[in-house]
Amino acid sequence: MSDIKLTYAQLLETNNLIQQNADETYWLCAMRTVQESKIFPVSAYILFSYLNCFYRYPSLLRKIEASMSAEEIGDRARHSGIKIVAWTIPCFYLLGREMLINWGVIKPTDAVLDVAYVLDFWKRFQLSWHRNDGNITNRQADHRGQIFPEQKLQVFHADAFECREGDPLHTAAQAFMATIAQYGFLVSCESRLTIHNHGPYKIGDRREMLVRDFRELAEYDYPWLDGVGRDIPYNNLTVAMILEDCHVTLLDDWGSFDSEPEMRAEHMVAVGLYSADNLSEGHMPVGMSSKEELTRTFEELTVLIKDATGKLWEEMAGWTRDQQLDAGALVYFGVGKEFAHIAGVYDQDDWLTIDERAERFRPLLNDEYGNLFLGELVGYISCPSQRMDEYTMMMHTGLPRRALSYFPYSMLNDGDYTAAVDGMRPGVTNLPAKNDRYRTSQGVLIEAEYNRRSREFVPKACQEPYRFLCRDWIKYHYDSPQADELYGFEQANSRLLQGKGAGLTRADIEALRDKE
Amino acid sequence: MSRLYVDTDKYGYQSDFPIVEAYNAAVKDLVRNAFAKSGLAWKDFVFGPEYEVITKEAMTAIEARLLDYGYRFEPSAMSSSRERPEAYKDSGLYVENFSFEHPQAPIAEPDADGRELRGAGDNVVAHKKNLIGTARYVRTIDKVLECLSGGVPDGTIMIVDDSGGTLTAPVLEKFAGVLCAGGTTRSHLAILTREYNIPCLMNVRLAGIKDGERIEVEFSARAKIAEDYESGRDVSARVWRLQPA
Repeated sequence: MSDIKLTYAQLLETNNLIQQNADETYWLCAMRTVQESKIFPVSAYILFSYLNCFYRYPSLLRKIEASMSAEEIGDRARHSGIKIVAWTIPCFYLLGREMLINWGVIKPTDAVLDVAYVLDFWKRFQLSWHRNDGNITNRQADHRGQIFPEQKLQVFHADAFECREGDPLHTAAQAFMATIAQYGFLVSCESRLTIHNHGPYKIGDRREMLVRDFRELAEYDYPWLDGVGRDIPYNNLTVAMILEDCHVTLLDDWGSFDSEPEMRAEHMVAVGLYSADNLSEGHMPVGMSSKEELTRTFEELTVLIKDATGKLWEEMAGWTRDQQLDAGALVYFGVGKEFAHIAGVYDQDDWLTIDERAERFRPLLNDEYGNLFLGELVGYISCPSQRMDEYTMMMHTGLPRRALSYFPYSMLNDGDYTAAVDGMRPGVTNLPAKNDRYRTSQGVLIEAEYNRRSREFVPKACQEPYRFLCRDWIKYHYDSPQADELYGFEQANSRLLQGKGAGLTRADIEALRDKE
Repeated sequence: MSRLYVDTDKYGYQSDFPIVEAYNAAVKDLVRNAFAKSGLAWKDFVFGPEYEVITKEAMTAIEARLLDYGYRFEPSAMSSSRERPEAYKDSGLYVENFSFEHPQAPIAEPDADGRELRGAGDNVVAHKKNLIGTARYVRTIDKVLECLSGGVPDGTIMIVDDSGGTLTAPVLEKFAGVLCAGGTTRSHLAILTREYNIPCLMNVRLAGIKDGERIEVEFSARAKIAEDYESGRDVSARVWRLQPA
């Protein structure tokens, strides 16, 4: 008998959180097909990452939470952006569990308190990240991610410069977004984890805004950006893109979107550029003093990013397969490392090594097995552990399958379960050592200094009492000095809204915009 | 012989793919034997003593047994077959005078304009008109390097195998159009061509088109959207081979 007591309610909720992720796993994966690359053994590294997540996330999330709660991290992320964590954190972890169940290495009754904790951490983070729309995921909001509060959206709306297809700003912005997307896929070893989108936000009868985040562009955590990313002056860039006559019909938990009609260059009619990280007071404008300055900024950044793309491609094309496998797996596994940065407890040994318990399975992960096992796990949902009784009709397919295994409630009868994996173990990497340089909004810092500042810095909007001055409070107190102060934090660097306070409506913002 | 928890399964049978079943069964065998030998209760075995017996060396032995039977893996990444030619099948990426020969490619005799139907694919974005250009396969790192050193002539249409965005990262924007033999209109390569405003067909099925041949691609066709994939609707755009100019 285990001496750890679980409750029925705990198990019910844990299984519900598992199922929410199971349903979305199939939908997301079936909509995309497996990504392939002639450079990276993509499926193999994805499986490798799942194992690393299973063995390390419980310890690392507990370490993070000893410094800052998941819900406070959610507040910070909502303030300055974050990578895609909605689906990735729970599903990478749970798919690692699913692999090990199918290998017989663990039972569905193992590590139950770990799983309950990881999912609870994720739930609290997500509820905080989604505080403004009250959902836990974009899926729950019928695939929409309305994350930002009015005070931030008003600045993005007001300061965005109008542009039309063929004019210099439009041309420069399009070239920039293509170039940075290309670089992003390369930085993230063929995954889309450098790129995140949220929204849409309603700007007018015919207009919507998408917020497009490009994160981890410069020298930061990845050793492969040492040198390559040195000249890139911002680690994170955010494009506020206003579309006209193009409705974003869905924006999923991978941050990708569909629109009606299909989005084309001509639909972008206004644009702004920002940078933010956990050491900044929200989003700082980049080249936003004038349309000409923004055009020039996009052009200059495009040149820098193209140069970095060429250098990075040459480096990666020469990597050994083991290096490719490590890098890809660490990119996937590393989606949680931004939590560690926000909490000020980042350690590269935690986040940039493959745990020896995952490492032992490396010889299995050839290309063919990787493609087919991953295909069964997330596409066909056909692993033995995923097959259910024939009365079952899985969401989306109607097949008797279930992507992720539950914990059996019989555990409450017999106590026959284990609580947790055995903490952290040493890790290995085939990649070069990382330089101790981290590009932040407060300059290039060493790891220890970055952690120290992260622990000490609290953006004004996240300090008491502003932290809990939410949109529902604003609704009834917009005319108070405190509301003006809260809006003032976002307006401090705005070209058009400095000192305008909390009373403006969307129509007021549109009226004072520079439409040239 | 002891049994694993998953050995008793009312609904789970085997994996769909033989290699997945073979590998997973081999790992289960290893765990089953090691657990039996340990004489421990499961909760005292898992996350502890198991690490001494379920090892990297044991996984290497599983692979070695499969290779000893003569099995060779299907490669995806170039590094896999380059580093371990004894473990992987020939990638076929370096075949001279290569052309895709997809059995599903639609083929027809030349029409009145001399256009010979030789393929079809899923259009990423509907452009105003079709594109006529010169076909060029870019299937390897070496071909990308050739493009970097020798340049890409105007009007070149790239033909690639996979739907990723990394292989062609330094050269993609040099091409007038792209034909990709994999993926969907939501794949990474599709996203990138949309951003670059480069016409692109994904999931293309081609027959007989060689490097240097003139082709016309129906980039003016309707874009294939998520609903088309969900409903299985065929909205293919066509690829024709043209008479030499």
